[in-house]
Amino acid sequence: MSRSFEGTPASPGIAVGPAFLLDVEELRVARREISGETEAGKELARLDDALSATCEELRSLSDGMGELVEGRQILDVHMMLLDDPVMLADVRRRITENRDNAEHALSQVLYDVIQRFRAMEDPLIRERASDVRDVGRRVLAKLLGSEREALGRVSRPVVLVSRELDPSVAAGLRRDQVLGFATDEGGSTSHTAILARSLGIPAVVALREAAEAVQPGMTVIVDGIHGRVILDPQQDELEYYTRLRDKYSEMEAAIARNASDPAVTADGRPVELAGNIEFSQEADQVRKYGGRGIGLFRTEFLRLLSPDADDEDMQCMAYSHALREMKPYPVVIRTLDLGGDKFPGVPELRERNPFLGWRAIRVCLDKPDILRRQISAILRASVEGTAWLLIPMVTELDQVLRTRDMLEDTKLALARDGIPFDPGIPLGIMVETPAAAIAIDIFLPHVDFVSIGTNDLTQYTLAVDRGSPYVAHLFDPLHPAVLRQIDHVVRKCHAAGRWVGVCGQIAGEPLAVPLLLGLGVDELSVSISLIPDIKKMIGVVDTAEAAGLAGEALAADSALKVRQLARSYVQGRFPTILLNGFQGTEE
Amino acid sequence: MYQKAVAVPNRLGVHARPAALIVKKAAVFGSEITISNGIEEVNGKSIMGVMTLAAGQGTELLISASGEDEERAVEELCSLVSSGFGED
Repeated sequence: MSRSFEGTPASPGIAVGPAFLLDVEELRVARREISGETEAGKELARLDDALSATCEELRSLSDGMGELVEGRQILDVHMMLLDDPVMLADVRRRITENRDNAEHALSQVLYDVIQRFRAMEDPLIRERASDVRDVGRRVLAKLLGSEREALGRVSRPVVLVSRELDPSVAAGLRRDQVLGFATDEGGSTSHTAILARSLGIPAVVALREAAEAVQPGMTVIVDGIHGRVILDPQQDELEYYTRLRDKYSEMEAAIARNASDPAVTADGRPVELAGNIEFSQEADQVRKYGGRGIGLFRTEFLRLLSPDADDEDMQCMAYSHALREMKPYPVVIRTLDLGGDKFPGVPELRERNPFLGWRAIRVCLDKPDILRRQISAILRASVEGTAWLLIPMVTELDQVLRTRDMLEDTKLALARDGIPFDPGIPLGIMVETPAAAIAIDIFLPHVDFVSIGTNDLTQYTLAVDRGSPYVAHLFDPLHPAVLRQIDHVVRKCHAAGRWVGVCGQIAGEPLAVPLLLGLGVDELSVSISLIPDIKKMIGVVDTAEAAGLAGEALAADSALKVRQLARSYVQGRFPTILLNGFQGTEE
Repeated sequence: MYQKAVAVPNRLGVHARPAALIVKKAAVFGSEITISNGIEEVNGKSIMGVMTLAAGQGTELLISASGEDEERAVEELCSLVSSGFGED
C-alpha cells in the first residue's frame, strides 16, 4: 500500500526505482538474484567463509576475555547461534532454491528469528533478539565488506534508503548505481546533501521514519523538489512522477545544451560567470551548468568532513580535481574561514561576538602550521589548472604581507624538494569588512586580485545579524552603503589594474545583476543552480543602461529605493526571470 | 524412537545459558533429537529453536530421540534438565 513521507528536499530531481536499504544494523539487506547452480555454489562458499571467519573472530574475542566468565558465556552462545543447524539449513535452502544471494538469505532468516524472539513473553528470551542481531551483523559485515562495496554489487540502479548516510559512503556513490536517496536524518546543508547536489542525485532527508517502513526492493519515489518520498506508490502516482521525472530531465538537458553559451550582455560585452563550491566534486556541476570557473571554493568542508582534514595530500587531491575539471578557467581557493574553536587543540571559545572575534585569517596566522599546509597543498595542486589563492576577512595590511611571506617560503620549500607548482599563483583578498573596502588602496599594491564577499560586507557595514529575527529585515546587500563600497572598490581596483569579482549571495540575485554589471565588476560567482538564470539575466542587460542604473542606485536613499529602480529595469526586459526556475514546468 | 517427559525445575527456566547446555549435550549424540513444550516442537540441536520454546519454571518438556544412541541421549538430556542446569 502506498505510503507518503514528508522530509526536507536536499537535492532536486525525481527518482523512481527499487529500494536498496543501507541498513545492515537492522539486518535487512537487498536481494540479488543468483543466476545458476555455479553462482549458488559460490554463494554457499561465501556464506561458509563468512561464518568461519566470524567464529574465529568470536573465539579470539572470547579467549581475550580470560576470567570474564559472563562475557565468555555470551560469546559462547553467539558461536552456537552461528552453528545452529536449523538456521543454517534455512539460509542454504534460500540460496539454492530461492536463488537468494548469501547476505539476503541470512538477513531474512535472522530477521524472522529476531521477530520471533521479540514476540516472546519472557523478557529473558526477548532480549536474546539483540544477541541474534549482534552476531548477524558480524556475519553480514564479513559478507558485505563495507557498505560501499555492497552498493558496488547491485545489479541495477537503486534508490538508497537509510537512517543516515555517512559522507564517506555518500562520496562513493555513483550516478549509474544510485537513482536517488532518502534518509531519515540529516539536513539540507549536511555534507551528504551537498554531495548529492554535486552528483546531481535527487535526495530527500529528515524523513524521520521512512527507513523503518521500507522493504528491500520496494518501489520508491524520491521527489527532491518538494521533499516527498512515496513507498510502494499506486499506479497513478507512479505515472505522475514518471512524467515529472522526464520533464525534469528535459529541463536539465536544455540547461546542458545552453551551458556552452557564453555569458554576454545585450550589447555584446562578455561577463565572467562562475560558480561557488564547497566540495571538489561540485566542480563537475559548475561545468555542467555552464560556469566558467569557480569564484569561491570554500575549503572548510575538508575540515568538517574528515579527521584527516589537515592532511596535505588529501587537500591536494581535492583541489587538483576541481582545477582539472575547470581548466583553463580559474579556481579561486579560499583559505579556511572558520572560528578559532573549529581548530584542533583549541578549547571552546567564549567570545561575546564570534563574528568580531578570532576567526578566518586571524586564526590561520596564529596557527601557521595549518595555513602553511593548506598553502602547500594549493601550490602542489596548482600545476593541474589555474589556481588563485584567496584569504578571508582581511582588515590589516600585515595579514596580507605575512600570508605573502608564507606563500614565498612554501614555494622555496617545494622548489627545494623538486615539487612542481605554479610560481605565478595570484594572491587575493576577500573584501568583506568596511576596513578592507574603504581602505582598499592600502592593500592593492600587495594583492593580485580582489573578491567582494557581500554577505559579510553587508553584515559588518549595516551591523545586522541576519540570525536575529528582530533585525533580520534590516539586512539588505542592496543598501546604498554597501553599493557605494562596492563602487569604491571596483574603481580603485580598475585604476590599479586589478581584477575584481563578487561572490556573495547578491551575485545570485537577478535584481542585483544589472547593478553589479553597472558598477563594473569583472566576475559574478553564484550558487551552481543559479548559473543558468543569471546567465539569462546578463543577456538582457545593456552595459550603458546598467551604468546609468547603478549611478541612480548609488544616489538612492534606501535599499528599498534601489530595489524599486532595479525591478523596473529588469521587469521591462525579462519578467519571467523573477519566477522560480522550476515552478513553471510542474503541472 | 525413545522419549521421556521432564519438568523444568529452575526459577529462570530455559534461558540462553541452559539452552546452550542442552544444545551442546544434544550435539554429542548421533540421533535426531526434538524437544516439545506441548505447543511447539523444535530441533534439540538448534539453540534458536530451544530458546524459542521459552520453557519457564514448571514447564513439562517432552524430549524425543531416534537413532543409534536414542535412549542414552534422552536420559542424559532429561537429567541435565532436572538438575536445574546447576542454577538455583
